[in-house]
Amino acid sequence: MRASVDEVFQKYGDRIFSAAFSVCRNRADADDVVQDTLIRYYSVGAGKDFESEAHLKAWLLRVAINRAKDMASSFWRKQKVEWEEYMDELPFAEPEDSGLFEAVMGLPEKYRTVIHLFYYEEYTVEEIAHILRRPGGTVKSQLNRGRTLLKNILQEGWNDDE
Amino acid sequence: MTNKQRYQRTFSVLHASEDCLMEVKAMKHTKKINISRLAAVCAAAVMVMALACAAYAADVGGIQRSVQLWINGDQTDAVLDIRGIGYTVTYQGEDGESHEFGGGGVVINDDGSERPLTESEIMEHLDLPEVDYRADGSVWVRYHGEETEITDRFDADGICYVQVMTDNGALYLTVKYDGGHASSPHSYVSPKSFNTGA
Repeated sequence: MRASVDEVFQKYGDRIFSAAFSVCRNRADADDVVQDTLIRYYSVGAGKDFESEAHLKAWLLRVAINRAKDMASSFWRKQKVEWEEYMDELPFAEPEDSGLFEAVMGLPEKYRTVIHLFYYEEYTVEEIAHILRRPGGTVKSQLNRGRTLLKNILQEGWNDDE
Repeated sequence: MTNKQRYQRTFSVLHASEDCLMEVKAMKHTKKINISRLAAVCAAAVMVMALACAAYAADVGGIQRSVQLWINGDQTDAVLDIRGIGYTVTYQGEDGESHEFGGGGVVINDDGSERPLTESEIMEHLDLPEVDYRADGSVWVRYHGEETEITDRFDADGICYVQVMTDNGALYLTVKYDGGHASSPHSYVSPKSFNTGA
């Protein structure tokens, strides 16, 4: 299957942005990651035969997360708006949502990414391990640790369910 | 409400900028500059990567120009000689010997036609970040005395994308491992669009 860059952006642009933001915690960088991911899709993805939408989405998220990590460790970085300032602009549906957002952004990056892929993209531990190229046991451990930290911060604001 | 529902509601407020798509579309129509480094024989038979500071240049006659280049962290006087689509830069190294390197390139217009680089474009190119492959196998990007290592940042296809902050703003550098590099102030140049025959 082969979708145009426009179609990929319309369908996955926000997901790529969210995944990138979970890594770099910066709107400008996350937008750059979206752009870079689309370019990768345009230049490299053109020759790839994606088996399904799920295959394409997983590929896009892996590219985006890797790119976001590169940016976070880049020698040259732009002057950026910190995520706390950006958070003030976000139109959360409920007041408590800002607390959850803040709690997630405060997690170490290795937990943030796993938490985001599990709760936002609804991937299983095995699927997350495949995307991030980490052992399944590591992902499971990081997911549990991330949940524990969120529970400690949010208390009643975070259920004991999965 | 489950944690999953709450999380999805919270993070659903994040949206990518439409500019991202516009930039990618603009990239498809950006005028491309194809630069190739020509190997030049110098007294020490060593290929030296040098960066030119475009801030100072004086006419020394004909098609030669006196310029200043960054070499080993120091600004050095050199002579830029432009002939046709190629150019040569000659300077005196710390060892007192004369060193030389050259390059060349064309601009590919939207209609596919080509023209030689102008002097200002060559000067602009000499002021671009440089990719340095070192004897220990490491790969570095250098710009105006600063450098960063990109050895481990190449993907499975041997491509590395690096964003460099220059005096004129962000520059998007696409590096093919041992296969050249290209840059643009707008967005990353597709690796399929340069040095494809290498």
